[in-house]
Amino acid sequence: MKKILVLVLALVMALSAVSALADITIVQNKVEIDAALQEYAAEFSKEAGYNVKVITAGGSSDYNTALKAEFASGKEPDIFVIEGPTGYELYKDKIADMTGDEWTQYTTAAYMDGDKVVGFPVSVEGYGMAYNADILAKAEIDPATLTNVDAYKAAFEKLDSMKDELGLDAVVSMVAGTAPGMTWVTGLHNFNVYLTVGLDRNDTSIIDQVLAGEVDEERFHAYCEYVALIFQYSDPEMLLNGTQDMQLAAFANGKTAFYHQGNWMDPNIVALNVDFPMAYAPHAFLHEDTDGILVNAPSWYVVNANGNVEQAVDFLNALATTELGHDYMVNKASMVPAFTNVTLEPATPLSKSVMEWNAAGKTYSWQQYKLPDGFGMGTLGAIYELLASGAIDEPTFEQMMKDAIATIPTL
Amino acid sequence: MEKQKFFSGRRERKITETLFLVPTVLAFIMVIIVPFIIGIYYSFTDWDGVNAAKNLVGLSNYTTIFTEPAFLHAFLVTLEFTVLNVIAVNVVAFLMALLVTSQVKGRNLYRAGFFVPNLIGGIVLGSIWQFIFASILPGVGKAVGWGWLSSSMITNAKTVVGAMVTVNTWQYAGYIMMIYVASIQGISQQVMEAASVDGATYWVRVRKILIPLMANAFTISLFLTLTNSFKMYDVNLALTNGGPVAMFMKTPVQASELLALNIYNTAFKYSKMAQGQAKAVVFFVVLVVVSLIQVSINKSKEVEM
Repeated sequence: MKKILVLVLALVMALSAVSALADITIVQNKVEIDAALQEYAAEFSKEAGYNVKVITAGGSSDYNTALKAEFASGKEPDIFVIEGPTGYELYKDKIADMTGDEWTQYTTAAYMDGDKVVGFPVSVEGYGMAYNADILAKAEIDPATLTNVDAYKAAFEKLDSMKDELGLDAVVSMVAGTAPGMTWVTGLHNFNVYLTVGLDRNDTSIIDQVLAGEVDEERFHAYCEYVALIFQYSDPEMLLNGTQDMQLAAFANGKTAFYHQGNWMDPNIVALNVDFPMAYAPHAFLHEDTDGILVNAPSWYVVNANGNVEQAVDFLNALATTELGHDYMVNKASMVPAFTNVTLEPATPLSKSVMEWNAAGKTYSWQQYKLPDGFGMGTLGAIYELLASGAIDEPTFEQMMKDAIATIPTL
Repeated sequence: MEKQKFFSGRRERKITETLFLVPTVLAFIMVIIVPFIIGIYYSFTDWDGVNAAKNLVGLSNYTTIFTEPAFLHAFLVTLEFTVLNVIAVNVVAFLMALLVTSQVKGRNLYRAGFFVPNLIGGIVLGSIWQFIFASILPGVGKAVGWGWLSSSMITNAKTVVGAMVTVNTWQYAGYIMMIYVASIQGISQQVMEAASVDGATYWVRVRKILIPLMANAFTISLFLTLTNSFKMYDVNLALTNGGPVAMFMKTPVQASELLALNIYNTAFKYSKMAQGQAKAVVFFVVLVVVSLIQVSINKSKEVEM
């Protein structure tokens, strides 16, 4: 009996010696990098002498609600993700200042509050109209010409008429359903096309106008027609029922020519062994040429000032400065890193396309996260779904969108 | 001996009994009573759920929610769902109870089989049925050429409540069946036999003897299904997430968003914690009133042998 007691005591002491450095918890929102990040965190923990626990909530479920639940339950994470000003304002009181920390010298994409550096850019991400280059070649469409809405219209019509010949189910793989949780594609990402395409990266005139409850009539009309055009050439069942996996499967199996998603889908594309060449064409909804895709640091890691700040910052420094960290970001998670000291190049098709557009300087910014909480996914997402289901036509869609935007100042 | 004396005194025993209650009562106060009172307080503020800043705003949350189409719609859909669901679950459960208490072959197997869906969690169940409604049924419909089956029930605002009732009945009827089974087995066989000697057919016996004598089982089953339907959340979230979209009071609303999901979305998705709390208080009051009415009506129908 005594022996056992001594053994237990020794074990307890040994365990408490190991955990002298407090463990840290990360709550993050990218399902597609979950496995890679878990693996990296495990490897990092071995060297660092403390454990890094990764909790992932996102994709079809809602990261923001999960994070609020974590905070409400008192299990505050040490590192979590903000997606822009809305998230930052919400958690401002809890976010630590990282000005002068090692990683900050290698990036220009950090999240800033005035002169304070507060957010570590997770990556840069981009989206546009991903296309299957083989199908476009067979239909004799040059993707480089897809820089205005008239070119898109002609290309969609041509592909639609050749559907049987090319083995297509629909021209575009697009989703808009609430039930499978895909309204972020329409209400946030697609809506951002209206907010920034054709504008300078620092030009916030359209989003400022929207936040004041107004729209630019001519531009907005062109945008709504573009949405209707995409929906018209999408599979109606996919629009309402499609999940992220179903949407990708249609494109990856060569059943659609275009795919409305970002380069964060790369790991899934690799997993499906897709062998046709693909790249991004711009979301060109205007009659004038707009030659660029939508690229931004979509989210930032922030450190909880009430947590284990030292270990958390250590973790981020290692991510930005060690070979292991770079290998994780580029090769394992297939992300486009926001850091200038990274020399690795992504091997996956969509990330490569984002890097090329980015290097050419042909990018438009993301402003959709300035919308009030739930407005894009919930309020606007519902109106997109109505259009997708055929319950309303394009003019009604336009009017309802305007009415919804007009309520923003009262929210 | 000292110890025994301590426990045998009347006063001491009372203290002991009270002490045994303390952990449970304490837990109940901490996780039910205190949050409930704090929740009522929050419903009079403008708290967003995260930041420390909150101001008292009086009754404005309550006046706002009663003009909000999404909330009013959620109320109506919840009522619709509850009525359909209470009927469906109880009718199916009662018929299943009759089946498994009859002389039919393999009745024990049925009994186990009917109960099994109740062991599956709501979220898992919702996800599985979402796949069935979104992919399998339309696939079958297309294969055999039935137009009505070839589009998903859960993306049509008219059929989505029916889909939820189907799933909830599939899950919950087995549990309610067990209550009816216990009640049927508690009824004396002599009464039933006497009636059958008098020439009463099976259905007459069910209607005139079984159902009146089972009144207390109906009270409890109706109460359980009523409150369960009103508070439905997990299947709602996993199966439809509130979708599809319908028009209500000239505003787009979520056609299958029940009250609990609406409250959750208000508090967490739209960051309006205080407004969500106000809705929750209203929800609580309605639920209490409705279930008190139901129990008192049912109680008055109960008979003694």
